[in-house]
Amino acid sequence: MDIILNLLPHLVNGLALGLLFALIALGFMLIVGVMELINLAHGSLFALGAYFAMSIIDPNLTYFGTFGEWYSGLSLTLRYVVALALAPALVAVVGMGLEICMRRTYGKKAEYGLLLTYGAALVIEETIRIVWGSAEQVMPIPDAVSGAFMAGGMIYSNYRFFAAGFGLLMIFVVWLFLEKTPYGATIKAGAHDSEMVRALGVNLTRLRLLVFGLGASLSAVAGIILTPIWGLRPHVGVDVVIPAFLIIVVGGIGSFWGAVIAGVMVGLVVAFSGAYVSEWSMMSMYLLLIAVITFRTRGLFGKKSSLEL
Amino acid sequence: MKMRNTTTRLMTGAAACAVASVIAASGAVAAGNPLLIGLTSDASGQYANSGASDRRGMMMAIEEFNSKGGVLGRQIKTIHIDTETTPATGSRVAERMITRDKVGFMIGAVSSGVANAISQVAQKYGVVYLNTNSSSPTESGKNCHRVKFVWDGNGKNFAQAAVKNAVSKYGKKWVLMTNDYVWGHNTSKATRSLAEGAGAKIAEEIMIPQGTRDFSSSLLKIQQLNPKVVAAAVGGDDQKAMRTQISQLDMGTKYAWINNQQDWPDVYGLPTKNLFGVFGTTWYYKFDLPGVKEFNAKYQKMYPHTKMKVPGNVFYNGYWATRSLMEAIEKAGTTENHAVIKQLEQLRIPAAVRMQHDDAFMNPKTHQMQQTVYLARANLSSKDKNDMFEIVAHASPATVKDGSADTTCKLESFADTPKYTP
Amino acid sequence: MKSSFAVSTPVITKPMLVLFAVLGTFPLWGTSVGLYNYLGVEIVVWIIYALGFNMLLGYTGLPSFGHGAYFGVGAYAYSLSYLNVFESVWAGILFGSIAGGVAAGLVACFLSHRRGIYFALMTIAFGQVFWFVSIKWHTLTGGEDGLLNVYRGTVSVVGADISLKSNETLFYFAFAILVAVTLLLWRIVHSPYGKALQAIRMSEMRAGFVGYNVWLMKWSVFTLSGIVAGLAGSIFAIAQESAYPDVMSLHASGFIVMMTLIGGGFVSFWGPVIGAIVFFVARDFLGSLTETWLLWYGLMFMGVMLFKPEGIAGAWQDFMKRRATPKPSKEPVAGE
Repeated sequence: MDIILNLLPHLVNGLALGLLFALIALGFMLIVGVMELINLAHGSLFALGAYFAMSIIDPNLTYFGTFGEWYSGLSLTLRYVVALALAPALVAVVGMGLEICMRRTYGKKAEYGLLLTYGAALVIEETIRIVWGSAEQVMPIPDAVSGAFMAGGMIYSNYRFFAAGFGLLMIFVVWLFLEKTPYGATIKAGAHDSEMVRALGVNLTRLRLLVFGLGASLSAVAGIILTPIWGLRPHVGVDVVIPAFLIIVVGGIGSFWGAVIAGVMVGLVVAFSGAYVSEWSMMSMYLLLIAVITFRTRGLFGKKSSLEL
Repeated sequence: MKMRNTTTRLMTGAAACAVASVIAASGAVAAGNPLLIGLTSDASGQYANSGASDRRGMMMAIEEFNSKGGVLGRQIKTIHIDTETTPATGSRVAERMITRDKVGFMIGAVSSGVANAISQVAQKYGVVYLNTNSSSPTESGKNCHRVKFVWDGNGKNFAQAAVKNAVSKYGKKWVLMTNDYVWGHNTSKATRSLAEGAGAKIAEEIMIPQGTRDFSSSLLKIQQLNPKVVAAAVGGDDQKAMRTQISQLDMGTKYAWINNQQDWPDVYGLPTKNLFGVFGTTWYYKFDLPGVKEFNAKYQKMYPHTKMKVPGNVFYNGYWATRSLMEAIEKAGTTENHAVIKQLEQLRIPAAVRMQHDDAFMNPKTHQMQQTVYLARANLSSKDKNDMFEIVAHASPATVKDGSADTTCKLESFADTPKYTP
Repeated sequence: MKSSFAVSTPVITKPMLVLFAVLGTFPLWGTSVGLYNYLGVEIVVWIIYALGFNMLLGYTGLPSFGHGAYFGVGAYAYSLSYLNVFESVWAGILFGSIAGGVAAGLVACFLSHRRGIYFALMTIAFGQVFWFVSIKWHTLTGGEDGLLNVYRGTVSVVGADISLKSNETLFYFAFAILVAVTLLLWRIVHSPYGKALQAIRMSEMRAGFVGYNVWLMKWSVFTLSGIVAGLAGSIFAIAQESAYPDVMSLHASGFIVMMTLIGGGFVSFWGPVIGAIVFFVARDFLGSLTETWLLWYGLMFMGVMLFKPEGIAGAWQDFMKRRATPKPSKEPVAGE
């Protein structure tokens, strides 16, 4: 009984962490799944989203006169909601710009596109450094989701559960979009057979632009939600790409639910190893990957993908 | 894909290209006989922000000397190359500065790995190197060098200052959080032996791998263990993430936290709520000591646009290392390395000049600056957003001495240190 | 790479002589153009590493993003052997190369039936495992401080003892090894084995149908590039007089991919050579010029990938093609 009581908080924590990992992987998954492109700028877009959001929540409006005064007078919650909507949209624009550059590499080796996104990652990170400085910053969060609560003698952070809940919501929204809307159907079709989509008269160029913009904005959402936990600095995104990468592979490329389940698995593995063999908590996710891939070549639910060739 | 008939021209073309691009860089040999100093602080990676602050400190000291005619009548010039918080880059930068740019001295480090790498190259050529801000005990212990001087207090100094009192004040059940690398291990080892010596019991040592971003499971574990004191030796970005997560849980007040040093650039501008427990520092801009106000004013005059409105410990170390080097050169009357090293080894700075509570002096056996160590906590009642710390205690150099360093540090002899006169 | 070499491959070619002549005299002209001998040593080390890496990436089409592991294993093995076993440079280099090969060979057992992205990801995962081990196993590796004080020794070449203490002699020593590696790898890529590797790059399935043992080919080329990486790592340890874990980080592993691609490893044997030179000279130049050098560096990569993904070698080949035909036709020069 005692053992169960001791394990339970770590289980709950692991599940919450897992949803956060899944959230981190969503944007990456969409771009890999549909465009078969490894977006190494994922982490930088993640950071950029967080910086945009911070500037929207707590802007320097000295030049905006009455509008500035009016805006600063709004409640933190309202400004936070504005940031949560506006910052991903701005990052989507950046992402679309990147996609337009990417076009030159389509039909060539996958490594070329990968290196282009790597270059973009350096450029975005360095731009953040120039604009916002390299010091640690804090993104304000509404009082409603900050603070802590007690359960079973343990303290839990409100924000962490808000973030996990938001992760769950985003998973649901993306699933709805992919499964229940005509856009989603086209995207999924494009993932499986781009020639077929083109033959059906769908504008593939526009489809790719849309997917990249959407993927970038999901990266930004993850950044906005996670930086209050991780802290905000220009290179915060560096820590995102590898877990995202790993989750996609464990889950299997092109599988939505694979990514979600893999995210939760990684969360649980990290949480339990962190509690009981803490010195291995960073390594545990790689060992999970090696274990899964050794037995299941295409991850848990992976389909055949051109990236294998 | 043809290769054979094109590659001859390809190779010559590439070589020509490489040559052309560097000719442009090499024209910068100045007239006269200025003294060139290589600044080796990080400009990217996790210590970029501290590196910038470090550099500002050095530049202010250099500015002071240049405005009164330089050192030994020579103007001081500087060159800065990013060491990227990466030891292998540190080696290359040091080789470049010494063999290509012919620097006289090198100053600057936040990461101990980088400081190590630079000092090894510096020793090979006999170039004096100042480690301004890396606080690993190994820097003035196992990895000490004749040419290297260390200006920051180290993990063991801070542990000495903090641990003993904490056992009697807060209780005997302790948990250690240890960043799983050499600095963390050393610091936690020092904490453990001091705490156990004072009668404490270490319930558990939680290892934190480098690069950890999520501390939730460690923090749950601490709650399950329910200790009186948590001593954390967690550094860099890991510490920043941990700090945020502890403040979200309001766990900062639930246990007595003992942290190692908190560098000013790492905490400046954050809510004071993020600063939990007791932590170490070597200097604070609000000291009520002579000279501090003027020092702050000079900083603000020189760096009016910097986000950091007041100087902190990293700046202070960068400034003092550079200033002491210049003074040592003037005292020696030469830039010859052996003479300068000997001057630095005898360095003694009165408390009133150094703006600390005790006289500071260089330990000639370890080359670590022996100085007052302060314990601080968050200043929660402050209305001034610069005034983040409340200094709770200070300990003299003798009481916080890193005793083991005298035996672990084996400096090279002067005979084994090549002569170098810039 | 269409075979125009079917007749017989010369042991030494003109581009090789040019490379050897230009690079081999580096200490004579390097300083006068603002470079320095130590940079020359690093460039030679990374050229060796990149040439070996291109066997995998350029010739066989297998992207390894965790190759720093074998380079690092080489550096550690050299240092451990030099510090604890024999104080001999040759023994250290031998030990370093073998260790790189063994590590790569073990990993290759898990990788050789993987393709594409799964292959790439497994290389990352294994690379990270090596990196973690190098930091964690500090009684052996010295943790994040690394193994220090691996002083440059003397090397005996045909009876004469040469001290490697100065960067200049070390450069010539490293260069001699580069010559040997270049000749060896050139032979290998033009052997039937090299042709088979290229067949695997074109289509793994077809190579299998033709009767090649694809698994063994992939395993052996991975191991080979591990040996070369270990060799380069050994020389790096001599140059740095230390072995540090950060050469095994993902970041550092990315550099070798970049060098190879920027230079044009897919279209030319010499791509990695050009890539390593440009990478280091540009970094040295930009790094001393501006603090925001990463921005310009990033833009440079983007530029290359946008306008000439076949890299510098590709651009040069196009340029020569255009010059060869006096009246250039309107059709765009497509990179193959």
